[in-house]
Amino acid sequence: MNKWEVFVDDLSELPEGEGLELTIRTLNDGFHKYTYKRVTAEVSKSLDQYADSLQVRFGRGQLSDKKYSINILGEIDRFPNYQ
Amino acid sequence: MSAILKDEGGTAINAPKSNREYIERLMETGDCVRIEQEVDWDNEAGAIVRRVCELAAPAPLMENIKDYPGFRYFGAALSTYRRVAISLGMDPDSTLPEIGKEYLKRTNGEPIAPVEIERSAAPCKENILMGDDVDLCKLPVPLVHEGDGGRYIGTWHAVITKHPIRGDYNWGMYRQMMYDSRTMCGAVFPFSDLGKTLSEYYTPRGETMPFATAIGLSPLAAMAACAPSPIPESELTGMLAGAPVELVKCETNDLLVPANAEIILEGEIIPDVMVEEGPFGEYTGYRTSPRMPRVTFRVNCITYRNKATLTISNMGVPMDEGQLLRSFSLGLELDKLLRSQGIPITGVYMHPRSTHHMMIVGVKVTYAGVAQQIAQLAFGSKLGPWFHMVMVVDDSIDIYNWDEVYHAFCTRCNPERDIHIYKNTTGTALYPHASPHERKYSIGSKVSFDCTWPVDWDKVNDVPTVVSFKNVYTQEIQDKVTGNWEAYGFDPVK
Repeated sequence: MNKWEVFVDDLSELPEGEGLELTIRTLNDGFHKYTYKRVTAEVSKSLDQYADSLQVRFGRGQLSDKKYSINILGEIDRFPNYQ
Repeated sequence: MSAILKDEGGTAINAPKSNREYIERLMETGDCVRIEQEVDWDNEAGAIVRRVCELAAPAPLMENIKDYPGFRYFGAALSTYRRVAISLGMDPDSTLPEIGKEYLKRTNGEPIAPVEIERSAAPCKENILMGDDVDLCKLPVPLVHEGDGGRYIGTWHAVITKHPIRGDYNWGMYRQMMYDSRTMCGAVFPFSDLGKTLSEYYTPRGETMPFATAIGLSPLAAMAACAPSPIPESELTGMLAGAPVELVKCETNDLLVPANAEIILEGEIIPDVMVEEGPFGEYTGYRTSPRMPRVTFRVNCITYRNKATLTISNMGVPMDEGQLLRSFSLGLELDKLLRSQGIPITGVYMHPRSTHHMMIVGVKVTYAGVAQQIAQLAFGSKLGPWFHMVMVVDDSIDIYNWDEVYHAFCTRCNPERDIHIYKNTTGTALYPHASPHERKYSIGSKVSFDCTWPVDWDKVNDVPTVVSFKNVYTQEIQDKVTGNWEAYGFDPVK
């Protein structure tokens, strides 16, 4: 199980059961903690729905008390011209 | 090589030339604490630096970072005036006016050009990571504040760029967040030197812009990177230090960087992709600027010294070096600007607790409208976006004494006549009082407070008399009372 975090302005940006494009960061321990990736994913308010967990923060860093689970469908390369 | 500067006593300036030499000086004076127990890069190091700032405690040197053996942290490098004095090679107990006078003296002299040295002589080349070895996570990039948008590698540093046409260098302290192993992003405001170069040249052409980030600078190089001076930062550093700065060429581009910096990141600013940056604890004492796509830096090469020291500034409520040093240099650069225009000022002071938002100006009032003239010059200058209040007092007020300034403000500033508001000016995304729309587009507003007596008031019959011990009693009475003070039964006055 991996732990992820996302920043949103409003929880309505995280509708369940839809393919979403999100910028998420890993909360897994280790020296890559807090690094980001852009992904397509689906989320659920049910913590048992998907294997990975998703923590949510708002725009000024406030931690939401709502937790999600997340299923990452794929990664998006944001820098295809800069390898 | 330029001549070595002398201080007022005619002796050579003895300022520390590197971050390491500076730390040694701070150790000698008790202004640095060596922390040998393990410190976590994930919040703990940031919290230590924040508490140091809020308590005005000695600067912390953290020698044992979790997950990162062989690296060190140094925080709150210049968050007290004692440390500013030490960085300039002055007596640590120098007063603020003395430090300011010395800064003005050194920076009003002839620029001291940097010198380029060979790569083999540059400490910053002791370790070089290129190609697949480049990974920012190999450096102990801290999570400075809980809830920050990312780990910030650039909080006390210089982003070094070169104008593509003019060829002049810019060293700027643009914050940089680690996005992934090869990518950083940062707040570059449109009115800044780098912001203008990007919007005027690189972005329209779709070209990448070479950059280098230097971390762990000498304290005076950091001071220069912070200072809003028209003098190129490498030359300004030389003027402050009294000796040329040594520069060395990057590995992957032609930029020149400080040879004794602890860490150098080389790469390109990319014009066609922006990634989300922020939020971050800012110098105003808040997280204000919104998380949004910002200027993006791709890193191609990392060089660093053995036992490299990553410098951390933890911005928040006063006082950290973001407020203290910026207030210090911004006020003094405004002093130079106003004097260059022939304005009869007696001094400029920005109290760090104003988070460099209020400029206090002392002036010898000899003609009408001088307060507004000062405000318009200051707001209209290149420095204008960084503050939004100007308070002008006459030369009877000690600008460094907030009690006196506050009293003048509350008693001499006529709400109808002496407060002037300037609308739709340039602001910053960091102003807590600005609306979300204003922050997004760097729209500001400003205000000036004229706390001087009107020149057309009769000085005998219209201007009120200040009722104070020093002002209303004869010298004979003052001497008698002060001479008998302890005999009256009072404690001695310090």
